[in-house]
Amino acid sequence: MKNAGFILLTLLALLSVRADDSVSWEITPAVTGPGQPFRLQVRIESDVILGPADRVGKEIKPPRGMALRFSGQIFRSGTTEATLNFSGVSPDAEGAYVIPSFNIRFPAKMIRVPEITLNVSGTTGFRKDGQARAELELPDRTFYVGERIPGAILLRGSEQEFVSGSFGLECEAEGFSFQLMSDRAQPLDNGQGLVTAFELTPIRTGSSELSLNGIMLIQVGVTSAFSTPSRDRPFTFRRRINVEHVPEAGRPANWNGAIGKFLTDTVQLSNLSPEVGEPIRLRAILAGEGNLERIIPPEIIGGENWDVIPATERRRRAEDQRIFAYTLVPRLPGKLLTPEIRLATFDPETRSFNQVVFAPQEVIVTGTAPAKVDLVKIDPGAGANGATTKALAGLAPPKPNLRTALSSPVALIQPLAASKSFWATNVALFTLLSLSLGVVLVMGYLSAHPEILIRHHARRSCRRAARQAKQAAQAQDPAAFARAIVEGLRAGSSALLQAEAQALTQRDILRVLPDAPLDLLETLFQAAEGDKFAPRPTSALLTEPACALDLLARLEAKL
Amino acid sequence: MKLKFLSLVFLLLSILPVVAVPTAGEVAYAKGDYAVAVEQWEEQGRRDGLTAPLLSALGNAEWKLGRKGRAVLCWERALLLDPRDTVAIAGLRHAQTAGGIERPVPSWSENYSAFLRADTWLIIAGISFWGMTLCAALPKFSRKNTSPWYQRGLVTFATVLALSIPGLWGAHTYAQRAVVRRADVALRLTPTSQGEPVSGIGEGDVVRSERGFNGHTRVQTAEGKTGWVRAGEVEAIWGGGLPANLDQKAAP
Repeated sequence: MKNAGFILLTLLALLSVRADDSVSWEITPAVTGPGQPFRLQVRIESDVILGPADRVGKEIKPPRGMALRFSGQIFRSGTTEATLNFSGVSPDAEGAYVIPSFNIRFPAKMIRVPEITLNVSGTTGFRKDGQARAELELPDRTFYVGERIPGAILLRGSEQEFVSGSFGLECEAEGFSFQLMSDRAQPLDNGQGLVTAFELTPIRTGSSELSLNGIMLIQVGVTSAFSTPSRDRPFTFRRRINVEHVPEAGRPANWNGAIGKFLTDTVQLSNLSPEVGEPIRLRAILAGEGNLERIIPPEIIGGENWDVIPATERRRRAEDQRIFAYTLVPRLPGKLLTPEIRLATFDPETRSFNQVVFAPQEVIVTGTAPAKVDLVKIDPGAGANGATTKALAGLAPPKPNLRTALSSPVALIQPLAASKSFWATNVALFTLLSLSLGVVLVMGYLSAHPEILIRHHARRSCRRAARQAKQAAQAQDPAAFARAIVEGLRAGSSALLQAEAQALTQRDILRVLPDAPLDLLETLFQAAEGDKFAPRPTSALLTEPACALDLLARLEAKL
Repeated sequence: MKLKFLSLVFLLLSILPVVAVPTAGEVAYAKGDYAVAVEQWEEQGRRDGLTAPLLSALGNAEWKLGRKGRAVLCWERALLLDPRDTVAIAGLRHAQTAGGIERPVPSWSENYSAFLRADTWLIIAGISFWGMTLCAALPKFSRKNTSPWYQRGLVTFATVLALSIPGLWGAHTYAQRAVVRRADVALRLTPTSQGEPVSGIGEGDVVRSERGFNGHTRVQTAEGKTGWVRAGEVEAIWGGGLPANLDQKAAP
């Protein structure tokens, strides 16, 4: 029974014993020279399967002056062991540097790595010459809130170590905004290294520490087509920076936040000879080094010659330029000068304020001045109650009651061309004129050609004589029949012979109608005029009246 | 002699502008109360008739109220009454440069016709036509030898008539303009309510109207794009007085 209790206690003791994790580390070389790269290898043995480590290095706080970055894990699945490699660069000063204890998180558990001590000694014989190294370029002075601070990290290589790349640049600084100037590092001028440019902008006053960490890739020895021996090497910079406000003493009233060294580039005008009221565009280009994009565009006062409208502006970052654009509207004609543009700047190096002035440009304004010019009043106190508002540029002052006797008011703006009475009157007059002109022309033609009317009258006489002859034939009156026929023959022949009708005889009729029977003509003439001399029986004429009427028809056809 | 002097005085008085005392509309405009100015001037226009200065002033006030369509229409109609109205010219130029209004570029004949009113061109053409006709016809009536004065008059009137023809043509094409009265009008491919929109035109843009069909008007924009808009979305510059009331809300 006593033995059984002992065995039970022993089992309980075994169960309560917890297996410890074994953590060992090794620094190569064990003692480093000042600034010498080293490798730290941490080996872990545990009682559980470890797997890949997570977020290694986040908790590592290397001592000041030492760069230390996690470079990889030798990982084998299903094992309880893990090997983690770190690369670092020792500080430049001799001494024993303690890397504080930190945690490594595995999926199964978290392992704590104890403190690690790095001994730096100048007796190792290590020389920095020929080693790739990182340098920080940053002005060493007091900075100002809102200032644009250009900086750069130079990764300088050598003949033995060629810097082929960099990655993982991190910035830890409170009270600053950090911005890389390009996505990737640019090669140095001598080709042996890379440069990464950045910009810092302080956003609050005080003293703070700037920390920059990164890794550069180094190729060691001769590079061949089949092997490119390379390694990564961390770098770290820590710099304490003092930030102040731009001094209020001597600060000009027109200072708009410009900090840096600036100079005027050009002043461009879209039109050098506009008309009154025609907007033109003024572009003032500021160049230099500083916080160009943070400058508030300066206000300009147009006075009584110009209306000024702020316009949209563009920033050309690549050329370190800032464009201030304005729309100017001339209010008066003549030779005018554009408003002067003044800009106060603060030079952080000399700690002094300067004035940058864009000179006025000469513009020749054509056109006529409006009758009344509304002066633009720049009064900060005005306009609070909305009593005075700036007139919209470009609109001329209205004169609604301007009257001239030549411009009578109208109810509807109808064109005269739409008036029916206008066109009706014109058409009627034109028709009347055309008719009158036609009559005049016809009369003139007939007066120039009288034979037309004579023949026309002769035709009418022939037709009338034929009708009378027919009536006489129906009335069985041979004398009247003969008189009508002879009268018609004389009228028709007189028009052709241009002779007096009553003087014509039957012989004259034969000249006009050569094929007329002479006997018939003589009978007709004797019957028509025989009663003047000795009457003869004429009843034979009515036996064939058609022959006599045919003479008239033939004569009418000749007319 | 006395008659000539009186005629000269009358001519000078008729040409010289007459400025009356400021009206309530002018006072309101000066104070920045543009709504009252519009109301007063519209009432004045209905009561006393429309003049170019009144229409251009009305256009200024409408523009200040943000009603681009009414403003541009007033200015265009003011130019019909007086092609040299400086207020209307300045307003249209301002609307094009600062207000983003599209306006067709005038053709050479339209620029030529802008020298005088359209009615003036027609009167000149009518007088020159009748003068030319009478100079040609009167010698026929008189049945006498043609006097040299008739020939000189004939040449003179024929020249004036020839010079007035481009003005008449420019006035004719200018009269086909119309102003877009609605905001964001769709230029449609076909004259139907379901027509495919091919482009957009904004309120106040000036277009050339061509013909109507199915309640739509075929227009050509300042950019040369042609399409159909609803007849009520544009208003011709000729044939009206004050801008039509479309119950349109003022633009902000």
